[in-house]
Amino acid sequence: MKPKVAFFDFTSCEGCQLTVVDSLQTHLDLLNAVEIVQFREAISERGEDYAVAFIEGSITRESDEARVKKIREQAALLVALGACAHLGGVNAMKNLAPLDDVRQYVYGDKHTWYATYAARPISAVVKVDAFIPGCPIDREEFIRVVKAVLLGKKPPIPDYPMCVECKLKENNCMFHKGGFCLGPVTRAGCGAICPTFGDGCEGCRGAIPNPNQDSMKDVLKEHGLTVDQVMARMTMFNAYQMQENKA
Amino acid sequence: MSLKIINKPDLMPFVSSMMGEYQVIGPVENDIGFKFATLTDASQVRLNYNTTVIPPRKALLPTQETLFSFQKDTLAPAFDMKWRVLLGVHTCDLHAMCMLDEAFARGQPDTHYMKRRATTTIVSMECLDPCDENSFCKSMNTLTATSGFDLHLIQLGEFYAVDVGTTAGEALLANHAKSHDATREEIALLDKTMSQKWAKFPVRLKLDGKDLPALMGISYKSPLWEEVGKRCFGCGSCNIVCPTCYCFDVRDEVAMDGKSGERYRIWDSCQLDEFARIGSGENFRKTHAQRLRHRFMRKGKYIAEAFPGQQGCVGCGRCARACLVDITPVGVWNSLHEAHA
Repeated sequence: MKPKVAFFDFTSCEGCQLTVVDSLQTHLDLLNAVEIVQFREAISERGEDYAVAFIEGSITRESDEARVKKIREQAALLVALGACAHLGGVNAMKNLAPLDDVRQYVYGDKHTWYATYAARPISAVVKVDAFIPGCPIDREEFIRVVKAVLLGKKPPIPDYPMCVECKLKENNCMFHKGGFCLGPVTRAGCGAICPTFGDGCEGCRGAIPNPNQDSMKDVLKEHGLTVDQVMARMTMFNAYQMQENKA
Repeated sequence: MSLKIINKPDLMPFVSSMMGEYQVIGPVENDIGFKFATLTDASQVRLNYNTTVIPPRKALLPTQETLFSFQKDTLAPAFDMKWRVLLGVHTCDLHAMCMLDEAFARGQPDTHYMKRRATTTIVSMECLDPCDENSFCKSMNTLTATSGFDLHLIQLGEFYAVDVGTTAGEALLANHAKSHDATREEIALLDKTMSQKWAKFPVRLKLDGKDLPALMGISYKSPLWEEVGKRCFGCGSCNIVCPTCYCFDVRDEVAMDGKSGERYRIWDSCQLDEFARIGSGENFRKTHAQRLRHRFMRKGKYIAEAFPGQQGCVGCGRCARACLVDITPVGVWNSLHEAHA
């Protein structure tokens, strides 16, 4: 019997779910392996008897909590899909400013209508069994994770830095080209896509275990970034983690 | 064996002719440097390249390589049996390949490496100027080579002197190049060029490379490891760019049906968190300091002892170039040497 799978979204751009749809272009056999019972972005059905839940987006309102807890109760396996769900992502940048200021900036004179609070990853509210990093997720990695889950194996998410993949691609180092990059502290798995196409890593896949953040700050400063610019880069996707580490 | 001469205008026809029979892998330009790549046109080759991000060992041990494919309960070995010429290998990298040859032949020989090695003809290049401030080939005695190559090129103004190392090299030259036996004048120019080049290369290590095993033997408890460990990212770049590193990880890629797939290997790095972690979760080298020490022990001592006559470091300087926090073999070994001097 095919495992029943559902997709959900919280605060996000839905780009990771689009990547899932996109992955079907090259991996149509995915539909032979699982049965998708709920996926607002792709199908009309809303089955509630799913065993595996993929969740995109971060938790940014109190009302999100009951919904995500209900999904957790139903799902035997809960997978955080993409940077917002995995890290808090770009949504958590707002956590760096006073919440009232942020609400007024976004919603103007209607700001009292919106009960948003500091953005958090899914794992801050319910237990997450696996995560697929990235903004957006990498479609090949998504497929690899699904296959691992089907085989009952641990999802093959790398816990080493992106520099490994960048060097394997024979890219010249961004820092040697006058750029900036968070590759030395950021989780690999994206195939170093940004440096390969000329842009420095912004850390969307989150930090590796035991990242040397002090050396990262030093290297960015040595190459010409101000302290503010260093912090802006390091908190683009990882503001929630940076604040948690400080606390 | 013997010394031949190829006139400069005859070099490109030589490369083109080889390309008709072999996959020719040589240095080509990329955005701000050079890399080894399969030539699609002889004019792409840049024999005056300084260095590459990844060493040419990738031609013998690809960064990622399928070992076999499987279908439920049957296996089919995967071999890439192209005949190839590896062109423009600097002598530092050539010394490294000689070490790899021993490492992969020992014990249970590595079938994939051995097959690829047997189908590869190496045309190396003499360096007449230092590539940059990071290399220290002179200290590691890899500034030239007398063996390990099939053909060895030395550029002498308007012609290349060609040292023929093997019968395979002899045949390659006979079949594809217009060459002649070196004249006395040409041999004299070669001698002059070779003796003049030595002075151009700085000695950067404060000890001879041959003394590194002894130095490393008394440096295990040095406080230096903790010091450099604090700076280290553990990013693994030093390993990936190293011509003498040969560790790989083995992984399976299974098809969606869960029944077929392939097993492949991919370059690994002893600087990564999971490298020395075992099934129980225990990690034998938890800290950056321990992993760095392990790497320098491999480069300075373990390999030289495991493979007598070979070196774990050939002084190419790639790891120094790649390191964003200035952890370099010259820096580390000179510091250790001074601490004991």
